[in-house]
Amino acid sequence: MKDDIFPLYDVVVIGGGPAGLAAALGARRAGAGDVLILERERRLGGILNQCIHDGFGLFLYNETITGPEYAERLAADVDREGIRAETGAMVLDLTAGRLLRVNSRSGYRLLRAKSVVLAMGCRERTRDMIEIPGTRPAGIFTAGSAQNLVNLQNIRIGNEAVILGSGDIGLIMARRLTFEGMAVKGVFELLPWTSGLERNVRQCLLDFGIPLELSSTVVEVRGRDRVSGVVVARVDEALRPVPGSEREVKCDTLLLSVGLIPENELSKRAGVELSPLTGGAVVDETFMTSVPGIFSCGNVLQIHDVADFASHEGFAAGAFAARFARGELPAGDKVRLCPGRNVRYCLPQTARTGTAGLDLSFRVTRPLRSCRVTAVGRNSGKTYFGKKYGRLLPSELQRVSIRPAIEEDLEVACHE
Amino acid sequence: MNERISVDRLACILCPIGCELEIRRTDRGLDVQGQQCEKGIGFATEEVLYPKRNLATSVPVKGSETRLVSVRLSDRVPREMIFPILAEIEKLRPEAPVRRGQVLIADVLGTGVDVIATRTIGSERSPRSDP
Repeated sequence: MKDDIFPLYDVVVIGGGPAGLAAALGARRAGAGDVLILERERRLGGILNQCIHDGFGLFLYNETITGPEYAERLAADVDREGIRAETGAMVLDLTAGRLLRVNSRSGYRLLRAKSVVLAMGCRERTRDMIEIPGTRPAGIFTAGSAQNLVNLQNIRIGNEAVILGSGDIGLIMARRLTFEGMAVKGVFELLPWTSGLERNVRQCLLDFGIPLELSSTVVEVRGRDRVSGVVVARVDEALRPVPGSEREVKCDTLLLSVGLIPENELSKRAGVELSPLTGGAVVDETFMTSVPGIFSCGNVLQIHDVADFASHEGFAAGAFAARFARGELPAGDKVRLCPGRNVRYCLPQTARTGTAGLDLSFRVTRPLRSCRVTAVGRNSGKTYFGKKYGRLLPSELQRVSIRPAIEEDLEVACHE
Repeated sequence: MNERISVDRLACILCPIGCELEIRRTDRGLDVQGQQCEKGIGFATEEVLYPKRNLATSVPVKGSETRLVSVRLSDRVPREMIFPILAEIEKLRPEAPVRRGQVLIADVLGTGVDVIATRTIGSERSPRSDP
């Protein structure tokens, strides 16, 4: 079957959340004509719709608003620009040749794109993935699914909750459940530091006297039909439970806030190379993946802690996708950007030689104080970037700009 | 001179950067350090003396238990007002349509702050706009 009978768009964006909506806007503002957003939910906005707490928009709109407001504003911008956004449309398959198979309200159809922007977001890690032993009763939720049930479906999920993991959604939900009249018995975090933002520890836990126990975990779930309690234990430096430190905490609900994973099923179908460090695509300085014409941004590329930054990435990726659709291909040899000491990953992973003013994001492996972040040329030893930080946390995605034109492989490191 | 100094450390919660502030309480007042922007000083002073918070929840629209409109406060209120205000919001059953930014309770409990809708709800349930 010849593909060219199917409608051809300049830029198709998969996912209508904070990154995807911004990508469509970025593409349109960079001159793309036919831009289409495909969103599988019935509403645009993605996860923003269930994030009813405030703290969004500080960077994009210069004020603090809630997730639904941020989504509506961004969607209104998309509408104003005349961009077509199709909700209830799920992309079933994507090929390296940028052919999309879509299940939509009007039925199954195929379409083609000169550029595709991946903006599918992420999923939560589940109990299976962290292998908590015990029974399999009702009452165990990922923090985000609990957020959906409480905030969007008006469902009371239980009476007494324990939260495993100190990710932001877990912290936000500790407060949310408290507002709904539930007792939150404690938040237990495996690592010796919190994985959520400082502000959430303060305003979601400390404000309500909810205990936070670091270096501890749930080692057993108890209960037959419904959770009746969990056994928690301290862990040692190797993160192994310390025998004898177990104690039971009575509860009927267990929330898991134990990490997010970029949702790259479609990317894999298209043969996009993924990074084991980020779980997202390997991209160059234009957010293009290993497959020409397929771009990636937002949480499907790397997990963000702030929606505004996912949008920021979307604007940029969308603009580059528009250029690619016009046939403006970036030229030059590629160099690699590699994580060095105390840096878990940096992104993009590659850049063309001569790239100046590169926006680089990175995360550190552990909390660091009085440290200096550098990007050093692997051949010449030249320092392309250097900045001092009073404090860096693994929970905070950092973004810096490397001003000089890059001519060689770089190593990004953080020295204490 | 024996000056009394107490030191508080806290993370600024005005934005996701979360600057780590150090606040010295001396006989002459507060001395704040560690902020990356000027808002940090105001936050630290407020946080030590009279902490304020915003709050968000959601309420069903009239005649439905499952169609929810999310709400927040138009500005932050003293922290101890959170639960009294939540009790007021719980009584709310706004009638659709509701538009984003619409005031649902004006000057809630005399705080000078409004309870406002944070999403738009159409007049009828439509498959296009509802979750």
